[in-house]
Amino acid sequence: MRNGVFFCQVEDGKNLNVDAIAKYAANLPGVEIVQNLGLKPHLKASLLADLILANSLTRIVIAGDMPGYYKPVFTKAMALAGCNTDEVRLASFKEHGATGEIALDRAKATVACANMGVPFALVAIPTGNPVNHSTLVIGGGIAGIQASLEIANAGKQVYLVEQTGTIGGHMAMFDKTFPTLDCAACILTPKMVSVVQHEMIRLLTCSDVTEVSGNPGSYRVRIRQRPRRIDVDSCVACGICSDVCPVKVDSEFDSKITKRKAVYIPFPQAVPNAYLIDEASCTYILSNGIKCGVCAKKCPKECINLAETETFLDLEVGNIIIATGYELLDVQKIEQYGYGKYPNVLTSIEFERLTNASGCTGGRIVTKTKLFNRKSQQEEWVFVPEGVPPRSVAILHCVGSRNNKYNAYCSRVCCMYSLKFAHLIKEKIPDVKCYEFYIDMRAFGKGYEEFADRIRHEGTFVVRGHSASVEMVNDQMTVKGEDIINDRMVEFKVDMVILAVGLIPSAGTEEISKMLEITRDSDGWFSELDYNGNPTDTERGGIYVAGMCQGPKDIPDTVAQASAVAAGVLRSITSGRGIGHLSSVSLSEIEDRAKTIHAV
Amino acid sequence: MLYKEVIMAIRVNPRLIDDLERFGAEDVQFCYHCGDCSTVCFHSDQMYRFPRKSMRFLQMGLGRKIETTLEPWLCYYCGQCSEQCPREADPGETMMSLRRWLISRYDITGIARLFFKSLTTEILAVIGVAVLTGAFLLYYGLSQGNFSIYDGEGAFLPSHFIHSFDLLVGACLAVFLLINAVRMWFFVMVRGTSFPVPWWLYLKKLYLMVWHFFSQRRYAECKSTRPTKIFMPWIVHLGLMLGYIIMLVLVMVFIEKLQSGPRIDWSVHIFGYLASVGLIIGTIYFIRKRISRKNYVQYKKSHSTDWVFVILLFMIVLTGICQHIFHRTGLNELANGTYIIHLMAVVPWLLRMPFSKWSHLVYRPLAMYFAEIRRDALERQDAVLPSYSY
Repeated sequence: MRNGVFFCQVEDGKNLNVDAIAKYAANLPGVEIVQNLGLKPHLKASLLADLILANSLTRIVIAGDMPGYYKPVFTKAMALAGCNTDEVRLASFKEHGATGEIALDRAKATVACANMGVPFALVAIPTGNPVNHSTLVIGGGIAGIQASLEIANAGKQVYLVEQTGTIGGHMAMFDKTFPTLDCAACILTPKMVSVVQHEMIRLLTCSDVTEVSGNPGSYRVRIRQRPRRIDVDSCVACGICSDVCPVKVDSEFDSKITKRKAVYIPFPQAVPNAYLIDEASCTYILSNGIKCGVCAKKCPKECINLAETETFLDLEVGNIIIATGYELLDVQKIEQYGYGKYPNVLTSIEFERLTNASGCTGGRIVTKTKLFNRKSQQEEWVFVPEGVPPRSVAILHCVGSRNNKYNAYCSRVCCMYSLKFAHLIKEKIPDVKCYEFYIDMRAFGKGYEEFADRIRHEGTFVVRGHSASVEMVNDQMTVKGEDIINDRMVEFKVDMVILAVGLIPSAGTEEISKMLEITRDSDGWFSELDYNGNPTDTERGGIYVAGMCQGPKDIPDTVAQASAVAAGVLRSITSGRGIGHLSSVSLSEIEDRAKTIHAV
Repeated sequence: MLYKEVIMAIRVNPRLIDDLERFGAEDVQFCYHCGDCSTVCFHSDQMYRFPRKSMRFLQMGLGRKIETTLEPWLCYYCGQCSEQCPREADPGETMMSLRRWLISRYDITGIARLFFKSLTTEILAVIGVAVLTGAFLLYYGLSQGNFSIYDGEGAFLPSHFIHSFDLLVGACLAVFLLINAVRMWFFVMVRGTSFPVPWWLYLKKLYLMVWHFFSQRRYAECKSTRPTKIFMPWIVHLGLMLGYIIMLVLVMVFIEKLQSGPRIDWSVHIFGYLASVGLIIGTIYFIRKRISRKNYVQYKKSHSTDWVFVILLFMIVLTGICQHIFHRTGLNELANGTYIIHLMAVVPWLLRMPFSKWSHLVYRPLAMYFAEIRRDALERQDAVLPSYSY
């Protein structure tokens, strides 16, 4: 075999020392000539053919970040020289992960494999190490629930860690799901109940991961369990504690449009179905046990222990699934929409809670009513069931999304849920005027475009053009915009404005990425190993991402990804090959293994 | 509501957007047409919607169409659109560049285009004219006068000569501006207006041109998009413009009174001093804003031609004041010397006007005038043919 190795770079790989790889290549068996053709070379097949003939080469190795780009010209040259055109081999640095610290070794290994004529992927199969059969799932939203159930149903132990007092996440807040308009709770709550009843799932609410150490296959995890102060097993959720509690604070589950007590249950269908005590607002805890404590006295089951302290739990797990989800961009910093300034400007989640049948108005869509709060001696705007329904509603898309100042990316779900809002409003208040201001309608899924068409035909004014501001003139909100398709300026008087706010990674994402040593992309979402080929794995073996924490996606995609993650976990447990990672395979190992495989 | 477009072959110039880059608009292609800019713009209304629409025309390469529009002139560049733009496509700067581009389109000689595209050409032209002026004045002065006499008998540059010289330069300026204004009228009101415009509308709306020229009311309205009480750029711009006009009138008409001395003739000099103060304050304000690049988006980018204007203006004001002081203190040689330098700056500065951004002095009031005529004509049209709508 007489081989020629040619280096052609397409991008200026400054971190890659091509000369060092060339020196290494020159010493490989069978290599006759090594040439560095430089950055983006313009090659002529006839000249290459001369070179091939002069050195009587029988195999060509094209090495570089995108060698496939030059394959045609080399194939032509081989044909001109009368050689076997199948013997043009590619050593693709980029494709085989030659980046970072391992870049040089990985690049050398790809050249070595190509030189021997064996596919790199066949040689560089990572070696496995024994895998602990239990799995840790961080985050109890729909992604975490789905992944936990899939793994547990396969008979493997799952620890599901959830920060708040209940699982369910954002999906539990929603009223309907697009485009089928199914009831979100009807899909989610059975799954939630299966989680808590499953013998293979240990549910850890009010908990967070504080420390992770170890290697793929055997991670040691320390979990901090914040005191719930109410015994989950004996609480029957009778609600007496909540009735007597004197403290009122904003309800997180209702997106702060209603109040809850300091001892509360997030929502009636919460799982585990037990009350909990909020440390940040409970008078007893804030006064170090001097004041109040009424709930503990009144509890008929005597399950309240106000003196409970936090505990730590050490676990050994083989795989970790991250499903930490998202939160909304702080829309108050986008001043022109008047959120926080005008009472009836709502975020998308606030509207979800308003229109939800289990929400504060029983599902009636109303504008806020001004009420006098006796306690704080101030007037405040609140939702009450007997409030006045809006006569006209404007829904603004892309608030903070696709905007270089806030989120440059598209949040992907806003167009569809905004259309869903329009439908829900039209359904509940038939003579309402509903305006949608959009930039581009991103109805990208199965049945989505049809849904968008349906909404258009229901009589919603769909304005192609963004509205830049919401103004209040004489207690009447107006929304201005440019209707681009009809070529005119529009100005609508509205009673309610719903902002389709952009999504950002949830607050703890950065902390978790540091703890688990996983990189995030420039927008803050977790990076997957390969966007197309490997969207659930991360660069660290045995750690997976599912759901929104990897990037905005809708519920079907989230559920699909969560199931895919479960498949990955089960593969590592059952295949017997364990979890290895390419970075654990050294250059000499690859060289040795390449010799044992026959060239194809 | 909408005027009917002229049914004609639409000529697309795919290189228009690249061409505009030389005039300052670099980010037009980023625009994704959300319409935020048109919404925040106070001047954008049903008939004249901008900047988004102009951005669209640019992206489509409709140069012939943009030529006939007035929108770029209706924008005073408060910068609100650029601040709001989610794509950072800088619509405000695009409108500014379009104004530069339109000036080069109205200009029949093609000099404006050369100047906007090449700073070197412009500087060479300015220096060339300055040297010619200086040489001519020196030759004239030395051939008939005495360098040590400033005014009166045997003066180096007698004021009646300067007066006729000024009038000559002024005539050149007026001719160029008039031709360009006629071209603008042709583009906008003939080629760009498909409905009939009755002649008497031109008379009826004439007051608007004068009003907008002297008040720049629309610039002041830009403040409504901001929380400020008084829109500073408007005041300063107005002061600068008025100073400029007063000086022009003084120099063109009352030069002989200005020149006589050493006694100060307050009937004209009071205006001269006021105008000087306005010019100095205005120039310093705009130079500071352009250097610090704070507060307002419109000062973040400066075209090279802006600097040529500002530097020349600064030289003129400085030498003018020096010349005035030297003359009054009896330093006649110095006064004559600085006067020649002063004129060497004034002549290229004035002659450059029809080919630079400063011709907006004429185009802007004209555009407001045409815009209102068009609006009225269209309303009359709609009254006759109310049926069509999009």
